[in-house]
Amino acid sequence: MRFQYVLSEITTGLRRNLTMTIALVIVVAISIAMLGAGLLIRSQADTTKGYWYDRIEISVFMCNEFSTGAGCADGAVTDAQRDTIRQTLESHPEVDEVFYENQEQAFERFSEQFDDSDIGGIITPDQLPESFRVALRDPEEYDGVVSAVSGLPGVQEVTDQRQLLEPLFRTLDGFQLVAFAITVIQIIAAVLLIGNTIRLAAFNRRRETGIMRLVGASNFYIQLPFILEAAIAGLLGSVLGVIALFVGVELIVGRFIAPNLQFTSWVDSADVWAATPWLLVAGVLFSMLASFITLRRYLRV
Amino acid sequence: MILFDNVSKLYPTQNQAALDSLSLEIEKGEFVFLVGPSGSGKSTFLRLTLREEKPTAGRIRVAGKDLHRLSNWKVPHLRRRIGTVFQDFRLLPNKTVFENIAFALQVIGKPRRQINRDVPAVLELVGLDGKEDRLPDQLSGGEQQRVAVARAFVNRPLILLADEPTGNLDPATSVGIMKLLDRINRTGTTVVMATHDQSIVDQMRKRVIELEHGKLVRDQSRGVYGYTR
Repeated sequence: MRFQYVLSEITTGLRRNLTMTIALVIVVAISIAMLGAGLLIRSQADTTKGYWYDRIEISVFMCNEFSTGAGCADGAVTDAQRDTIRQTLESHPEVDEVFYENQEQAFERFSEQFDDSDIGGIITPDQLPESFRVALRDPEEYDGVVSAVSGLPGVQEVTDQRQLLEPLFRTLDGFQLVAFAITVIQIIAAVLLIGNTIRLAAFNRRRETGIMRLVGASNFYIQLPFILEAAIAGLLGSVLGVIALFVGVELIVGRFIAPNLQFTSWVDSADVWAATPWLLVAGVLFSMLASFITLRRYLRV
Repeated sequence: MILFDNVSKLYPTQNQAALDSLSLEIEKGEFVFLVGPSGSGKSTFLRLTLREEKPTAGRIRVAGKDLHRLSNWKVPHLRRRIGTVFQDFRLLPNKTVFENIAFALQVIGKPRRQINRDVPAVLELVGLDGKEDRLPDQLSGGEQQRVAVARAFVNRPLILLADEPTGNLDPATSVGIMKLLDRINRTGTTVVMATHDQSIVDQMRKRVIELEHGKLVRDQSRGVYGYTR
C-alpha cells in the first residue's frame, strides 16, 4: 500500500508539473554535462602534464676540446671533473636517475635526427659534447639541480626542458581552474532551480500535504514523494548529461582533436565511462539534497 | 483529555494577545461548544490543541501528552489521536469518497486490509454507504461534510475538533451533522466544536465555553449560546 501510494504520488506530481520537470531535467543534464566536462578537462590536463613530465630531463653538457665559456677554460672535461659532476648529480635529493651519454652516443642521436640533411656528413663525434641526462624525482623541483651543477668546472651548459614547457603547464592549470569555476557556478544554479521546482510542487499540492499533516502523517512520509520526484528528475537529467558527454567527447575529441593534435594522449569514451557512476550519483544526490533542504523550509510540521 | 493551564498566545504581528492566561479542562468523553465572536481565540485554541502553534506562555496537555515537551517528530503521533473537521470540508477534489477517507489511513501507513475494513464501516456510520465512488463535487454540502467527519473519525481518535462544521450548511443539514457528531461523542470520543450557530448550541444543551478577547468569560454545563447579537 505504502509503496503503491508513493509511486502514484510521484507520477501525478511529475505529470502535473510537467513543464517544471522538463526544465529541471534539462538543467540537471546541462549541469552534469558541465561537471563531467570539468572532470574530463581535469584529467586531460593531468594526462598531458604526466605525458610531458615523464619526458622532462635536465641535460648537463660537458666541455669538449672546442668548447668555449667560463667552465671550459681548461679544455675538454677531465675524468676527475666528470666524476665530481656525476657525484653531485647522484647525491642531489631532487634527482631520480642519471644517464651518461658519451660523444659516440651523442653522434648517433645527432645522425638520427639529421638523417636527411647534409649537416650529418659534416659533424664528427668529437665535435659533440658528452652529457649527463638527469631524470627528476619531482618534475616541479628542478632549480636546485640546475644551480648545483651549473658552476662546476667542466660543465659547458645546463639546459632544462621544464623551462620550455612552463607556459604549457600554466595554460593547463588555467584550464583546470576555469573548468572548476564553471562547474561550481552550474551546480549552484542547478540546486537553486531544483529548490524552486520542488517549492512549486509543494505549493501545488498544499491541499494534500495540509491534510496529511492534519491526519498525522510523518514528515518523512509527506516529504518522500517530493524527494523521490527530485531524485527521478535528477537521474533522468544525469543520464541525458552523460549521453551528451559521450557524444561531445566522440565528436569533438575523437573526430577532431585527437587525430590532429598528437602531442599527448587524449581523453576518450573510456574516461567518460569511468566518470559515469560518479556523475549519476552526483546528479541524484544533489537533486535529493536540494529538495530536502527546500522542503525543510516549506513543509514545516 | 485537554488541559490548558494559564496559556497565553501572542502572535508576532499583533498587539493584542490571541489567548490571555486561559485555563480550562475538558474531560474524556465530553461534548463542548466553543463560542465567542470572531477573533475571540477559538481558532487559536484549536490550533494550540493540534500543536500547529506553540503557546507563548503556559502549559497544555492533550491526550496525556505535555505539548511543551513533545518533540517535533512526535507531533504526527499526537495528531493521529485527534480528528479535525473544518467549515470548508477540505476534501481532495480528484479523489472519490472512498479514496478521500482511505487517504487518511494510507498516509499514516495503515495496511490495505485495515483500510478495506475500516472505510466502509465509517461510511456506514456517517450514512454514506453506497456513495463511496462519488467525487466530492457530485455530493451536497452536507454529504461532503459527512465525508470530512468520516475521514476525521476513521482512525478512531480520542478527540474530535470541529471548527464551525456547520458554517457552510443550511439549518436542516446542520442538524444532521450535529446528530452525527453526537453519535460519535457517544462512542466515548471527546468532541470540541467551535461555532457561531446559536440555534444548534441552544438545542444541544451541552457544555459551553465562551471566549472573548482571548479570555474565558463563561464556562457553563448544559449551556446556551448566550447573548443575542
